[in-house]
Amino acid sequence: MQKTVLVVGAGPAGLAAAAGVAASGAQAVLVDKAAKLGGTPILSGYAKLVPSGEWARDAMGRMVKRVEESKNVTIHKETKVTKLAGEAGKFTATLSNGTSVECASVILATGFTHFDSINKPEWGFGTYEDVVTTTQVEQMVAAGKIACPSDGRVPERVAILLCVGSRDRQIGREWCSKICCTVSTNLAMEIKELSPTTDVFIYYMDIRTFGLYEDRFYWKSQEEFKTKFVKARIAEVTRAPDGRLLVKGEDTLVKRPIVIPMDLVVHAIGMDPNEDNPEIARVFGVGLEKHGFIDRAEHYTNTCGTTRRGIYAVGAALAPETIDDSISQGTAAALRAVADLDALVQKSA
Amino acid sequence: MAIHEKSLIDAERIQTSDNLVLDGVDVSGHWNTMVLPRYLTDYDTDFARQIRTFSGGENVHRCWQCGSCTNSCTVYAQNTDFNPRYWIYLTNLGLKNEILKDKDIIWTCVSCNRCTNICPKDVKPEGVMKALAHWLEEEGHTPESKSTIFDNEFLDQVYATGRIEDTRVLVNFLRKTNQSLMPPWLIEIGKRMTKYFPLTFLIHMGLHLVFKPRTKSWGRTGDVLRAYVHEQKEIARKARAMPKEAVHV
Repeated sequence: MQKTVLVVGAGPAGLAAAAGVAASGAQAVLVDKAAKLGGTPILSGYAKLVPSGEWARDAMGRMVKRVEESKNVTIHKETKVTKLAGEAGKFTATLSNGTSVECASVILATGFTHFDSINKPEWGFGTYEDVVTTTQVEQMVAAGKIACPSDGRVPERVAILLCVGSRDRQIGREWCSKICCTVSTNLAMEIKELSPTTDVFIYYMDIRTFGLYEDRFYWKSQEEFKTKFVKARIAEVTRAPDGRLLVKGEDTLVKRPIVIPMDLVVHAIGMDPNEDNPEIARVFGVGLEKHGFIDRAEHYTNTCGTTRRGIYAVGAALAPETIDDSISQGTAAALRAVADLDALVQKSA
Repeated sequence: MAIHEKSLIDAERIQTSDNLVLDGVDVSGHWNTMVLPRYLTDYDTDFARQIRTFSGGENVHRCWQCGSCTNSCTVYAQNTDFNPRYWIYLTNLGLKNEILKDKDIIWTCVSCNRCTNICPKDVKPEGVMKALAHWLEEEGHTPESKSTIFDNEFLDQVYATGRIEDTRVLVNFLRKTNQSLMPPWLIEIGKRMTKYFPLTFLIHMGLHLVFKPRTKSWGRTGDVLRAYVHEQKEIARKARAMPKEAVHV
């Protein structure tokens, strides 16, 4: 009987899962397709994480260090799982680097893909240089300068458009990406810290800063940093003759159309199912739910279970998820996977 | 008549001229009516800050538009055009022209403070109504209000004598606001008072009207108070006029 758990993906969820398995005394094999561990927060160059306010490189750095220093974790970078044979308790995984891994269970921590704003062409991304995504603003904040890409000027006004690639039947994305509201209110504060004279406007349908994010992010951004919240779903972003951007829409509360000049327009992009999910579903033999995320088994007694026995999924592989909850799920799945190992060991004894 | 449904358009957006030449083409006559676009083209990003410098307006930026204020409003129950939530939103975005459309009703707030008591974000909407009314007055959008005239009469007496004389405040107020010195309600008060025949009160009132008594040792107190109030108002006025860069959060 194997005492090994295969963990796929080395973002917050996968790193937590691998560390959990290792801490229990079992062996974890951690596989990631990227050359660098840390997942999206590292690969996309996030600045300070919500809600801790810690720099992504420090927070993820500690998680990476923990698994790298563990003697119970074997790491394969720039590697994919190409084949999974067998069944719960005795899987054989073939890796793209030729290695073969015998494992009892698998944890899929394969994360998400950022929505590609090109798919909402009316909002100007890809047409105008000064239309950017939250990921790009994260990178600006991490670099310590907020500027318009077109000419490097510090923007007098920034418009953040919420729900870009979320809650939109037109593009087949009917889910809320859960964290963009909080991230956006946080970015508004970070922009203001870098450039106190910049006015930040958040165009919203509703504000979903759930739980303690309510006052720590939404209220703080509004009350201390004077972020302006405008209830309008923008219809179109165009450019004025002077080169500034124009956001057009209907202000729901004033009941009038608006055409407002802005210097920088930021898309608060949502979380899509990982673009590799069809491949992942095929290789691991797990089902996808209707949006394309990995499907869950009955949750109450089979936490993190997928539609295939012995394979678990955690974090943003299952649905849009926060970093904190992804980490918790990674740890929960580690416990499930290790408990399975023990049960199988007892059964075979 | 090029426009058939003028009732659907705000009157101030309809422009008519007898002689009109556009790009060198004479369009007088049949095509003499033009309609300005109804979309909003900009925010005054400094406006909310200016309103915050008026007493009562300090928390206006906290509003999240739940509508509790309007829902609880005594005046809204009588006149649905009186909508504090809406004006707070316009203030925060700096949609000044939209606020000006309602300049003649904002002052009708009766300060019952139900809005301030119910507000989940502690915006103090009643204070915002006052701040807006004061801004409208200071900018000359509305004439000096009766309450301002009353306040000034009241304060002038305090500065001068350290006390107020009810009769004098009332008479001067009625005079300055061009009202009858004997309004029916005052006559009614007088009639009812005679029932009790308040002799000492009437003697006092008469003497005070003639002799204008001052508070003991009032001295220069009035001048100091006047200077202080003036100074505070100047500080607030200067803060409003400051360039945005100098005062930003």
